Amino acid sequence: MTLRIDPAALDHIRRHGEESYPKEGAGFLLGRDHDGDRVAVRALPQANRAPEASQSRRYEIGPEDVMATENEAEKAGLEVLGIYHSHPDHPPIPSATDLETALPWYSYVITSIDRGRANQSRSWRLSEDRRELFEEDLDVAPPGSLEN
Amino acid sequence: MTKIRLPTPLRPYAEGRVEVEVEGASVGAALEELTRQYPGLRPHLYADGGGLRAYVNVFRNEDDVRTLQGEATPLRDADRLLIVPSIAGGAGSATRPVDYSALRTNQALIISLVILGFVTDQPWIAAAVGVVMLLGSLLGRPGFILVYRGLRAAGLVRPDPVRDHAQPHVFAQGFGGAVLGVAWLSLVAGTPTLGWALAWVVVGLAALNLFGGFCVGCAMYYWFHRLRIPGFRVPPPPGAIPGRRPPAEA
Repeated sequence: MTLRIDPAALDHIRRHGEESYPKEGAGFLLGRDHDGDRVAVRALPQANRAPEASQSRRYEIGPEDVMATENEAEKAGLEVLGIYHSHPDHPPIPSATDLETALPWYSYVITSIDRGRANQSRSWRLSEDRRELFEEDLDVAPPGSLEN
Repeated sequence: MTKIRLPTPLRPYAEGRVEVEVEGASVGAALEELTRQYPGLRPHLYADGGGLRAYVNVFRNEDDVRTLQGEATPLRDADRLLIVPSIAGGAGSATRPVDYSALRTNQALIISLVILGFVTDQPWIAAAVGVVMLLGSLLGRPGFILVYRGLRAAGLVRPDPVRDHAQPHVFAQGFGGAVLGVAWLSLVAGTPTLGWALAWVVVGLAALNLFGGFCVGCAMYYWFHRLRIPGFRVPPPPGAIPGRRPPAEA
């Protein structure tokens, strides 16, 4: 499985992570799914609704935001492909919390922000038995190669 | 008939449908009918112990059913149900500070009290230690935490917080407590050799942890996790050897 991402969208995700540092920044990935191979064309930052004190280790996006984004995606002829979030000073590997709260099908793009600078981004999906988040290929599409 | 709208990630489990029509006089009945039609949805809607998953929200028209009557919320024909996830995660609570000093105090007390019981031939002491360990595990903390707090208040021990998972330590202590329980049963049943041998196993494991820095019960927890035994949900922290103290985070 592969997630191809528009370079501007990836840049947006990484900047959001840096701006949110030392807190976690999260949002949605919009694009199209072709039998599991995905093309993400847009990143949609969301407010972190986790309690203020825990925002450096946790993010939450409320159901109202999910609903609004689904409607927005539908209008744009896109799908909500997944969620991105940052791990401040922590590797871009899913945590037990990430696994516990993961939804099936979504791509989870995690970017590590080391001392305020975006480092590695990796993408993960929940296995069918819900026991692990397995890695999928994250490819950056050449600029202009993805129709929007 | 009630229309249930599914969020994108659940549609693949319902033949790609955005909306499914079901019969049902209540929210619970409608969801039951939905998962009967599409059994693949069940594990993603319900937690292992039954009940909706914490991050699954069900709205009747505009209202979260948790603010109404939950799954008993009645439905009329014109009502529409929306299943909407809330999204959460983060690096954070994968590990939390675990006070290794409290664990070591616990191990030292287990070792000395069980040996005291053996030397004075008082099986009840070993039994009492087992009860304290089991109670501690039920509460998710070291059994002798109050003794530790007293020693800390007196300045005799200092905290040693390590980012780690608490569950394997809780399991290890519960396992030790259960072995002491069996030891006590053997002792009162008139098989003192077996009983004290089991008690010494607990002493040995606690000593291995206290002096050797290896928690056998924790390693067992992670092995059970690897064998995919239900209830052992947490993998070792990144870079950690199962049973050993995890490396400090960067």
